[in-house]
Amino acid sequence: MKRILTLATVIGAGACGGDSEQLARAADPFCQAVWPAVDAYTAEVAAANPVPDDPRYGGTIIVGSIGEIADGMNSAVASDYTATQHQQFVNLMTLLDYDENAVPRPYLAKSWDIADDNTSITFHLRDDVRWHDGEQTDAHDVAFTYITVTNPETAFPNAAWWDHYVKGPEGVEVIDDFTVRIGLRPHAEFLDPFRVLAILPEHLLGDVPAADLKQHPYSTQCPVGNGPFVFVSHATQDRWTFAANPAFPSDLGGRPFIDRYVYRVIPEQTTLMTELLTEGIDVYIQPRADQADQIKEDPNFDLMQFTFRDYVFVAWNSRKPHLSDSRVRRALTMGTDRESIVEAILQGYGSVANGGVPPFHWAFDAELPVTVGYDPEAASALLEDAGWTDRDGDGIRENADGVRLEFSVKYNSGNQQRRDIAEIMQAQLQKIGVAVTPQVVEWATLLQQINTPELRDFDGVVMGWVVEFKLDDMDLFHSERIDQPFAWSGTQNSEIDALLEAMSETADREAAMEMWTRYQQVVMEEQPYTYFYFRDRLDGINKRIRGVEMDARGDWVNFREWYIDPSGR
Amino acid sequence: MIRFVLRRLLGAIPLVMGVASIIFFLVNAAPGDPAALMISPGMDQAVMDQMRTNLGLDEPVHVRYVKWVGSMLTGDFGYSISHRRPVIDVIGDMLPNTLVLSLCALFVAFFFGIVLGTIQAVRQYSVLDSALSVVLLFFYSMPSFWLALMLILTLSLFARNVWEWPIWFPASGITGREYLDLGTLGRLGNRIRHLVLPTLSLSLVLTAGIARYMRGSMLEVIRQDFVRTAHAKGLPEHVVIFKHALRNALIPIITLVGLYIPVLFSGTVFIETIFAWPGMGRTLYDAIFQRDYPLIMAGSFFFAMIVVLANLIADVLYAVVDPRIRYD
Repeated sequence: MKRILTLATVIGAGACGGDSEQLARAADPFCQAVWPAVDAYTAEVAAANPVPDDPRYGGTIIVGSIGEIADGMNSAVASDYTATQHQQFVNLMTLLDYDENAVPRPYLAKSWDIADDNTSITFHLRDDVRWHDGEQTDAHDVAFTYITVTNPETAFPNAAWWDHYVKGPEGVEVIDDFTVRIGLRPHAEFLDPFRVLAILPEHLLGDVPAADLKQHPYSTQCPVGNGPFVFVSHATQDRWTFAANPAFPSDLGGRPFIDRYVYRVIPEQTTLMTELLTEGIDVYIQPRADQADQIKEDPNFDLMQFTFRDYVFVAWNSRKPHLSDSRVRRALTMGTDRESIVEAILQGYGSVANGGVPPFHWAFDAELPVTVGYDPEAASALLEDAGWTDRDGDGIRENADGVRLEFSVKYNSGNQQRRDIAEIMQAQLQKIGVAVTPQVVEWATLLQQINTPELRDFDGVVMGWVVEFKLDDMDLFHSERIDQPFAWSGTQNSEIDALLEAMSETADREAAMEMWTRYQQVVMEEQPYTYFYFRDRLDGINKRIRGVEMDARGDWVNFREWYIDPSGR
Repeated sequence: MIRFVLRRLLGAIPLVMGVASIIFFLVNAAPGDPAALMISPGMDQAVMDQMRTNLGLDEPVHVRYVKWVGSMLTGDFGYSISHRRPVIDVIGDMLPNTLVLSLCALFVAFFFGIVLGTIQAVRQYSVLDSALSVVLLFFYSMPSFWLALMLILTLSLFARNVWEWPIWFPASGITGREYLDLGTLGRLGNRIRHLVLPTLSLSLVLTAGIARYMRGSMLEVIRQDFVRTAHAKGLPEHVVIFKHALRNALIPIITLVGLYIPVLFSGTVFIETIFAWPGMGRTLYDAIFQRDYPLIMAGSFFFAMIVVLANLIADVLYAVVDPRIRYD
């Protein structure tokens, strides 16, 4: 007996104190081949570039967020926001980036020329950027990246970006080591994709078949970038660690101020909040609205707040007979008090949306009158007009055939805001004689139900959408794409079709603006969606972190310029 | 005894395979598939089909089942769709973290459960007994995720920021910001500090249960003749309790080890999520939402195996502590 107890004690104590190497590096053969070169190069450049004598240099910044950087650092296969941000601003480089007014400025490309007839762009690259294993970043990397993302086998998540470019090897020409030309047809905002698309190393990924890129260890186990931060390690579901790149070009800011950057995954928001307040993390990405006030009031923390590019809406499936009439869809929107819902759900951190153009975007028409504001009487009149009347006195309208005006509105489980929207709509639409049933569905199941054309028999669904600076609603509303995954509303409106086509091909903003105004007006009449809100993106930040800027370009937009107040280190 | 263990191990094979097979058909019957989660605007149908082919989703379920059994028997658990790594690597990273956490919780739960239960039995109907009963009942009736949040609030946030205690416990993770700058002893201390809150959240509920069992079992034993004899021959109280009564009272408690291990594993799903502990429970839970079939299968296979093994160990321990039980 005694022996057993002793044994148990030893096992227990051993396990509790067990020490496994946390920074273990991936054992994959690709990674094993990559590490020695990265280690040698970073040691060499660290010796050659001593840390400048400035108190701002040094320290570790820890950022906490609920989600993994799921798609990692491979820009050819990444679709999630956090991954793209890290590719653009942390580990890799894009050809160009935007200043605070969304005007393109040089980054990896020091300049570019646009052909007079708008059929090609020639990028002139910097010649002082090296991959973190010491190889030169040059035009061949750009050509490789372009060919890869335009190759259908790669399944590049935003394939629609390249609709107006000459895809594949024909579309790109390496003129010399630092000059590359890309072919296109004239269209709107043609530089925007190069703001987001980070360039990948050809010498490491050139031999990988396009279809295998998604599963390649480069993404999450041993990315080799050329940006301001060198990848150090990644413990799945736990943390990513990066170190400052001492060789980052000095006219782009040189070596970042901080030594290390850690991105931690903390799935529970109460825990994240506690970690921020107990200084376990320095930045809390996207606190809840109710936590935001607490952060704002605390003298040790700042709340960053900026209008973002994502909106939340209810998509109405106009393939369903009840919903095919735009009067019914308008009535559903007008019977919903969106102002007060947005106030209740976002507690002031956001604004009501009436369309998919973000309020800060140049194409947004602030003058456009809102014709679908809250007006239950007008909504009732529209329904009467469309033949829906309460004929049996049960409070719910019927049509001439006695069919009740009832819908289900689906939302994904675990999303409180979307549940609130569905439930408040149910209560409010009841008042104008429409029966709405909120229906919760698990995320993967919901995606299958709404994205698969043959399974699409939902009525309404609460969803969200993120837009880039280059707006393009083709996938959502163009009637030719009605059998594509994102044609949730099944919209068939020839004016919308014509406007979408014309707008995507008009490079001149002034000419396009007129069309955008008309487009926003038509969408309001058509009401394929009941638009709810553009949410403000919020971040809680410890005040010892200085130099932080955040706007619609993203949370990490000037990350390489952040530093830690020396007195708070 | 060895023959018994071997027989049980052989018997475990069809059991684990059966469990894994049921899970295989359940997850495949669930609507949605991993390819649906990867679709993005403008993707061609051909590309989506290619993606499904790459993931092996274009074949009928029974074909996939046969393939899966075949590769699993050769020790190949496949490639995790959401982690983009071999499943065995993912499990190799995550399982140790879960084992550390659950073994610590198991140890703490049994240690305090046995100690408190014994105290209660020896001081039956005293104020201490009643007070402990109330406190234990309080923890026993508490949902563990709520307990976890309360522990974070008090022992982390308030302890550090409001009460300014010299010792407070970090709310998440395995190691802290300062970990890399510490010496070996410091690192060990840092890890233990990070273990405190998740271990407490996981074990307090169990402690309460074990203490109740222990109190009952002990009460039964100390009324028996041999204990009275021990008292009568003038042995001091602590010798009677610890040497004679405790050994016998522990026998029924041993079975609880086997029973509580599955409870612990299901508890880790919540606890690992709340405390951002990179372990198997959370990984498996996420895998289900990602429809990461290979990872779900391998993860549940390992859990099933651990549970079967734990029960076997409990049975063996049973024989070790109780000479009346022989398996041959």
